[in-house]
Amino acid sequence: MSSVARAIRPFASRVLAQKPIAPICQASPAFRFPRGTRSFSQSPLAKIGITDYAAQSLGDVVYVELPEEGLDVAAGEPVGAVESVKSASDVLSPVAGKVIGGNSLLEDKAKTINESPEGEGWIAEIEVADAAELDALLDEAAYKQTIDA
Amino acid sequence: MLAPALRSTFRGIRHNSSYPVHQFAELARRPSSLHQIYTSLSTDPYVNLSIEHFLLQNTPDQSSVLFLYANRPCVVIGRNQNPWLETDLRALHNDRNGAPEEEAVFVRRRSGGGAVFHDEGNLNYSVISPRTSFTRDKHAEMVVRALHGVGATNTSVNERHDIVMARNESDDPDEPLTRKVSGSAFKLTRHRALHHGTCLLDSPNIHDLGKYLRSSARGYIQAKGVESVRSPVGNVSASLADSFFSMQGVVGGIIEQFARLYGVNPDAVLRAQRAHANEPEVFAGDSWVAGTVSEVQGEQEPDIAKGIAELRSLEWKYTQTPRFTFSTYPIEEDPRERPPLPASLPSSTRAFLRLQHGAVVESHISISSDDSTAVEEASRVHAVLNGQKLHEMTLARWSEILKQGLGGRDVDDTVVKELARFLGGLLGG
Repeated sequence: MSSVARAIRPFASRVLAQKPIAPICQASPAFRFPRGTRSFSQSPLAKIGITDYAAQSLGDVVYVELPEEGLDVAAGEPVGAVESVKSASDVLSPVAGKVIGGNSLLEDKAKTINESPEGEGWIAEIEVADAAELDALLDEAAYKQTIDA
Repeated sequence: MLAPALRSTFRGIRHNSSYPVHQFAELARRPSSLHQIYTSLSTDPYVNLSIEHFLLQNTPDQSSVLFLYANRPCVVIGRNQNPWLETDLRALHNDRNGAPEEEAVFVRRRSGGGAVFHDEGNLNYSVISPRTSFTRDKHAEMVVRALHGVGATNTSVNERHDIVMARNESDDPDEPLTRKVSGSAFKLTRHRALHHGTCLLDSPNIHDLGKYLRSSARGYIQAKGVESVRSPVGNVSASLADSFFSMQGVVGGIIEQFARLYGVNPDAVLRAQRAHANEPEVFAGDSWVAGTVSEVQGEQEPDIAKGIAELRSLEWKYTQTPRFTFSTYPIEEDPRERPPLPASLPSSTRAFLRLQHGAVVESHISISSDDSTAVEEASRVHAVLNGQKLHEMTLARWSEILKQGLGGRDVDDTVVKELARFLGGLLGG
């Protein structure tokens, strides 16, 4: 069973322009444990995507660049990129690891990211180098606080 | 005026010192350089885009940077676009055949969005700012205020974050209601937002720039990625009777509006406004940097040199292309009716290619009207065509491959040559 980690891309779109965005340093990677998966095997798998909030503020996603299988990423490094409304945005991995694969569903249906960013619209699956890094990420409630702040 | 050597002895005392140009990178990275304004003396699109990318990646997270430049004629496509679909590659093939780059060059940028044409009459503005306070319209509106300042009061930002110019009442009624004078694209990184836009001030090519943005293969290609949205374009100068209109006036206006928006030190503005000397010159105060940049920075700063090499590479320009198909007959994923084949080819001729990272991964090219013979032909052609990078397919290469796959048996040599010419022509060979 894989856990789900997310890199956050806070961004003020036209719609959200009135609302200040949370300080970036707090809105760093968020992470949510699916229920009952606190015990990991030696190399836990994690799915990287963008949050609902980020998907909404980026606007309609028209293209997703998926990572190559086997790519080694460090925490904070790009593990893909999305394009929406003329904007190319890097998707950063919140943890270090090796890419198992990209979500090929997005090759044909980039919009899945808008419809289900935290579910079907995941971008890359990685084998996490250090499980302890996952614990350091924000949980959903803490992440919500950073965007409502 | 002090000699440069003498001036540098004042560094640290005066707040307004001139620095040797090689300190540009250091000053750009300096944590206290919160406001930076540069204009480029270079018209090389690879150099300008790479200096811009360097600024995006290296200036302090909280800083705001304005960079202004004009490129020599070039077609610039968005990061996720298809050059075979968006441009006339036959008019732009000097990057592949070693011809001098006198004509327009083809460039793929790192930001999103669609294809545009640039020349010396087009001013590019670029603002790099903290992502937290960024909106897609903020800097287009800044430029509109500058355009109003020079008298172009009929300009405004539209819903696509572009700047458009409204038709004057006295204009021909057939004239479109608005013409686009500026297009925008964005690149977002973890902490930073880059907004760059074109601004057609006085392009001498305004009436035929569309020719570079038209592909004869459009009717055959179905591509993933981002398609351009076509708009009628115009020069800002066209709506101004004032003969004093100048690029420099607009540059000055944009610097002034940027300074207002971000509360830039007046010394920086003064230096930036004067920075149209013909030599690279960098000035800095405690919290700002202003000056001119050029090819010199590309030669001195390894990160910029690396960026230039990357943008120039054919891998970046061509193999970064999202997946696409080319087919001379309707296929399931692209059922459009196709243009008729040239009369010199048998009507049974079929050509289908599927490309990934700009290379052929699947194909069907055949001439025979007999199904099983056609399948044999296609498989022989595919054996040689598979894995070929499309941008390396010159006319000669097409002829060679088709001859290997189709030639010899019952197929006429002239038909093979015609087919090579037809495919090479559509696909920029």
